[in-house]
Amino acid sequence: MPGLTNSIIWLVGTLLEGSVLVCALKTKSLRRYLFLNVYMALSFLVSVARFEVLIRWGYTSLEYAYFYFYSDALLTLGLYFALLNLYSLVFDEMKVERYLRLGAVVLLGGTAWFSYAVINQSSHRILSHFAFELSQNLYFVGLVLTYVLWGAILKLRETRTRLIQLVLALGIYFSAFAADYALRNLYPNLQPVFQYLTPTLAWILPAAWAYAFLCVREETRLAPSSLAAVSR
Amino acid sequence: MSRRLIVLFLALLVLVGAMSLKTVVVTHGDGSVIMANGSAPPPPVPWKNGGTPVQVLGNGSAPPPPVPWK
Repeated sequence: MPGLTNSIIWLVGTLLEGSVLVCALKTKSLRRYLFLNVYMALSFLVSVARFEVLIRWGYTSLEYAYFYFYSDALLTLGLYFALLNLYSLVFDEMKVERYLRLGAVVLLGGTAWFSYAVINQSSHRILSHFAFELSQNLYFVGLVLTYVLWGAILKLRETRTRLIQLVLALGIYFSAFAADYALRNLYPNLQPVFQYLTPTLAWILPAAWAYAFLCVREETRLAPSSLAAVSR
Repeated sequence: MSRRLIVLFLALLVLVGAMSLKTVVVTHGDGSVIMANGSAPPPPVPWKNGGTPVQVLGNGSAPPPPVPWK
């Protein structure tokens, strides 16, 4: 069983996920950011269900392990679609939805195929290992896609503040986990710190998205920097 | 080149980039599990490190269990 501190971190994370939905409902942003909200709703429900399974079967049980990894694959898929939702919003004026869908399907199919190719040679429990491998690989695909979207936002000089906030939060979320993983490998003796730091990083995304829905209005725009014209 | 081919090329480029990044990270890592995920006390990964504590990044804050295969 997790200790008291970890349980509190888990509880706060779950409440933050629920708060995203509440903020989106309050500001009538549920439909516009549908997949983001579906992902947060799924995260909230899975978190509650995991707690139920953990209480019933125990931390070291196979039931909890299978439930955790299958639900995690589902959530990572949800995060992938949330990211695609952000892509379609950034590129909505260019009328390229058809191509975005094609790219998304190819990328998801390619990731699934790659995951299957890897586990097919190394595991006899193909289905459960496939769900785990797909989840990991989609994480890296999401990481790269988020940085590509950052680049597109800069290139297109996007000014919609809420959209920028949502994408930046996702980038920081992915980057924080990558940095955390690197630091854990560099400083394995700091395990007592990382056992609390790593789960706390899961707060970043729901906290930032809740803030974006609650405090940044849809019509808010970033003011472009004023340029001083200097005569020569 | 048609737009479809460009999209196909870009999607495959992202896939290759992501899988290369994963390979680099896993090669230089300690063998622990990486996922896009969150919280809780890290269990030992059963197939490596002889019980060295490992943290799992997971969606949500639920404690990650040991991997059931192997």
